[in-house]
Amino acid sequence: MNLTLEYHRSPVRYMTTRTATGTSVGGRASGWMAANLSPLRLLNRPEPRLPGAGWTRVRPRLSGICGSDLGLLTGRNSPYLSALISLPFTPGHEVVGETLDDLPGLPRRSRVVLDPVLGCVPRGLEPCAGCAADQPSRCDHITAGRVSAGMQTGYCADTGGGWSRVFVAHASQLHRVPDTVDDERAVLAEPLACAIHTVRRVPIPDGASVLVVGAGTVGLLTTMALREYTKAGPIYVIARYGHQRELAREAGATEVLASDRAARALRRATGGFLARPERGSEYLLGGVDLAFDCTAGSGLDTALRVVRAGGTVVMSGMPNTGVDLTPLWFRELNLVGAYCSGGHDFPDALALAQSAPLTGYVDAVYPLSRWRDAIGHASAAGRLGSVKVAFDPTKDQ
Amino acid sequence: MSRPGFVLEVDERTPALLMHEGEGFRLEKLPLGSRVIYPPESLPGLRDLDAHIRHALANPLGREPLHELLRPGMRLTIVFDDLSIPLPPMRTPDIRQRIIEQVLELAAAKGVDDVELIAGNALHRRMTPAELKRTVGERVFRSFFPRHLRNHDAEDKANLTEIGQTRHGEVVEINRRAAESDLIVYVNVSLTAMSGGPKSVSVGLASYRSLKHHHNVHTLRHSKSFNDPPNSAMHHSYNRMAGLLDESVNIFQIETTVNNDTFPDYVGFLNKREWEWNLKDQASYLAVKRANDLAPPKQRRQIWHRTAAPYGVTSVTAGDPIQVHEVTTRHVLRQQLTEVDGPADIGIFGLPYICPYNVNSIMNPILVMSLGLGYFFNLYRGQPIVRPGGVAIYYHPVRNEFHPVHHPSYIDFFEEVLAETTDPVAIETKFEEQFATDPWYIHLYRNSYAYHGVHPLYMWYWGAHALEHLGDVIFVGGNRKTTARMGFRSASTLDDALEMARERVGGSPSINYLHAPPLTMADVR
Amino acid sequence: MGLIRDVKVLTGGRDWRGRSRTPRSAAAHEPPEPPREFPTGWARTQVAQAARRALQRGVLTPLTWSQTRPEVQGRERLDALKGPVVFVANHSSHLDTPLILGSIPAHLSKRVAVGAAADYFFDARWRAAVTALVFNAFPVERHRSRRLRSLAPYLLAKGWSLLLFPEGTRSEDGWMSPLRLGAAHLCVTQGVPIIPIALRGTYAAMPRGRNWPVPGRARVVVRYGTPLHPAEGEGARAFNVRVGESITQLWAEEDLGWYGSLRAQARGELALPSGQQYPTGSWRRTWESTRPLVDRAPRRAWRS
Repeated sequence: MNLTLEYHRSPVRYMTTRTATGTSVGGRASGWMAANLSPLRLLNRPEPRLPGAGWTRVRPRLSGICGSDLGLLTGRNSPYLSALISLPFTPGHEVVGETLDDLPGLPRRSRVVLDPVLGCVPRGLEPCAGCAADQPSRCDHITAGRVSAGMQTGYCADTGGGWSRVFVAHASQLHRVPDTVDDERAVLAEPLACAIHTVRRVPIPDGASVLVVGAGTVGLLTTMALREYTKAGPIYVIARYGHQRELAREAGATEVLASDRAARALRRATGGFLARPERGSEYLLGGVDLAFDCTAGSGLDTALRVVRAGGTVVMSGMPNTGVDLTPLWFRELNLVGAYCSGGHDFPDALALAQSAPLTGYVDAVYPLSRWRDAIGHASAAGRLGSVKVAFDPTKDQ
Repeated sequence: MSRPGFVLEVDERTPALLMHEGEGFRLEKLPLGSRVIYPPESLPGLRDLDAHIRHALANPLGREPLHELLRPGMRLTIVFDDLSIPLPPMRTPDIRQRIIEQVLELAAAKGVDDVELIAGNALHRRMTPAELKRTVGERVFRSFFPRHLRNHDAEDKANLTEIGQTRHGEVVEINRRAAESDLIVYVNVSLTAMSGGPKSVSVGLASYRSLKHHHNVHTLRHSKSFNDPPNSAMHHSYNRMAGLLDESVNIFQIETTVNNDTFPDYVGFLNKREWEWNLKDQASYLAVKRANDLAPPKQRRQIWHRTAAPYGVTSVTAGDPIQVHEVTTRHVLRQQLTEVDGPADIGIFGLPYICPYNVNSIMNPILVMSLGLGYFFNLYRGQPIVRPGGVAIYYHPVRNEFHPVHHPSYIDFFEEVLAETTDPVAIETKFEEQFATDPWYIHLYRNSYAYHGVHPLYMWYWGAHALEHLGDVIFVGGNRKTTARMGFRSASTLDDALEMARERVGGSPSINYLHAPPLTMADVR
Repeated sequence: MGLIRDVKVLTGGRDWRGRSRTPRSAAAHEPPEPPREFPTGWARTQVAQAARRALQRGVLTPLTWSQTRPEVQGRERLDALKGPVVFVANHSSHLDTPLILGSIPAHLSKRVAVGAAADYFFDARWRAAVTALVFNAFPVERHRSRRLRSLAPYLLAKGWSLLLFPEGTRSEDGWMSPLRLGAAHLCVTQGVPIIPIALRGTYAAMPRGRNWPVPGRARVVVRYGTPLHPAEGEGARAFNVRVGESITQLWAEEDLGWYGSLRAQARGELALPSGQQYPTGSWRRTWESTRPLVDRAPRRAWRS
């Protein structure tokens, strides 16, 4: 039997958490809500069956809790995504594990990381345009094929997910981890690949001024990716918590800003005027060349307000709030989305995981049985001084 | 008869003494033997003020009577001190209004049509129309605003004119209209010994190009103190500039001084010596203190800033700026000077809610620094009330709050510059140019109501002498983060502060407490 | 709580009335004490008058009369008089005021106010209150050190008769000192008559420094003189001289008899009994003034 954390259909729980976390009081208690009211349960399931050739069972060694997972549990994620999942499923897409079945070129007991995207190849379909261009994150067939609908492992009923003892994955999704990369670093390979993918989404001119909004896992890893793979000039990071400031500097930030002072500091750094509308926050006429929103959407507004006219805003985090798009129109900004990874992003991520200052990022590891604590911790990670919270299903007896 | 100032020595029978701390105050029991410097009691104000003004205009020092200087067809410019003095603002009618009205009466009688009124605000924020009206009065405001009653604009290149350079190479550049006038009438209020005289036109109407010659770290470190003009390098520079100005412009200076009636009657205890408080004073102390402590911060600030001082005017003198200023300084010192027998290990200062740059505004941390280490520390003649290497203890909450309209560059200065360094020289070298020329600050200074971009740096220079002189600075009740950012320390009580000062001055330090406001200037022997 | 803490800090070092001691170093800088005026209006209200009448008639007068043997003369001279008037007497004892108040004819005694030294009787509040209630006293400045506006003209205008001691203080040794001008000036300006009174034997009965009459019921004499009206155009100085002469004559009447005193005055033999026949500092001054009054039958007007 397979001990698994399962997200199931429960309209009542879904609506309760979604409504409650939408209020200001509920928003503060979202961690508690995610842990106690969300439609998540721990139970024993039969092991998922292998969908076909090229698939293997994987035993997770560490499985991260991602911001999008928390958005899922609090109901904050957009209903847009509901067509791209199949219930009930086991969350968990940031996984380092070991394979349990022999595959060509990938013997069992290989230590691997998971590229969670379920594109045409794992689904056993003819490649769509995206997959043909080696960009499976743009796959159009994520609701079809051999396994049930699901944009990624961790949202698909048939594959299982990282928050369990065992799930299944296709060989194309797995990347062997060099021995020099320990589990704590390897589990960050997936977000790191996303970060690399993000900074590759737009051309970044040499010396361009860049703002990274948010200094959670995504923000920090994006900063590292910017430093590693681009020749950006000054990188400003907006961080809320003390440990994030330190880490952002280590990651390569030129200057770390507090969110309420960001506009003024960026004005000083990049020139221009500061405008104060009668309602809403202040914005710049002038500002940085590019901004990366690495929050769950709340930073998008800030990003739009401090990018120079004609500049670019890249959305890296999963957005779950509305935003005033007037600056996009008025300042003629480019708004670019960045989802998951593709191409060489994963190998590059593994290489970077080896060298990047990632020590201490995974500083809270829970067994599945303590999932409520884990979810609560992850929801308050910034406040509690953590970057990444992960499950270690092997700890469960 | 008003009693002279004196130095109290705290003994067993001394009651707890009043300390200002921002928008509030408290009673504090000082250690035995502490010396407390009290100002002379408020001098009686002039009875028939209008008659005194008339007399001063008709009998000026070193000039012909004003009415003889006026003639039809001339260009007359009346310049007046901006809202940075007096503090708190005086009850209406303001003395400037009374004087300007009489000057205008004379000008009207002589048929002078080309009259401009300019506030001598230098790099200070512009005065709002309401503030202008309050200062010059309804009648003047109606007749001249907005075209002929204006704020000086130190960034309006077209309306500045370079008069020349002093022999020290200091550029003198002032308001063009004033420079090209046949007569400048300067209407001044001298609240401290530093203001007025040669400073009036050369500073009030100057530009950054001109001001940077005396508003810099070097000059301020050599102004000991800047309230004692003969020993102030800053005033030496003013004098040189005024000398140059004297060759090309004709200035008729009218100076006034006020007494120490700083607080209105309902807080009359703030003007009294504590052991002379009667039951009514004590009751109103308790009532006002409680109400003040419980009031929401915004309302509290509004109430404080609405209080106007019932100042009495102690002198009105007109004529040649230098001769007039001698008389004025005498009157200021008569009201403020108290002899003190030597400096102490520790100086204590209670900082009030207002300084020259937060009238109708917020006292931000930089202004607290400039008030404490600048203005209050420099209220001395001879030597500071703290010995070199001694400790200054200030009372102020030092909240991290800024007025976004009035002090935009202060915010950046605090967040960015002070996070990097608090050394005035380093700040001057690295940041002055940036802040002075930032187009956004200039825009806000000219079109909004913002202090000039370079002003927060000047505030920091203002304390340069104190920073060099003092061994440590401790704020009682100060916000820990904010004070730390400025390189100071905070203590929750006086006992803690004294404990912290121990490492510098030992366990039984001598203490001087400057009991102000009302303003006291220590004449330290 | 904040308030309690504030109160503690505020009251620390202050007495129960909230007054602080002046710090030593501030002593040289104390402001001149502002004149404090003790309000006495309450002592002239109906209630206070009733209380006073009860006190005087029930306690003060019986007590005085029990401890001394007062002899009151010349009261009939006041019969036709209407208030307000100013009683003027020599002053050598605390007995003087009770004796006069106890002997003023009823038609005048209802509305009499007594001028009392502000610096002595009105210094402490409790003493001021008792003096004002029992004697209907009002403060009189005698050193002109403080500038209190005198209540006397106001009281006269309100119909109160006044009892004043124009020597300004109780006699040191029982002899009289010159009369000050105040009372005469008051009467001249206000146009009220003065009733001179001479008191004899009060110094012997209760000299300065005693707080109870000497045992043995000493004889004391209260002698009312003829009311003196300020003449048309008469100055205060001249009027004061007349008052002085009148008191001198009344004083002498004890020793010389009525007619004798008149004759002596007419001959110019009388002078203010200031004891100038005894050198200053001589024991005889006190000796003579404490000599008990001889108890004698009323003299006949005509010496046989």
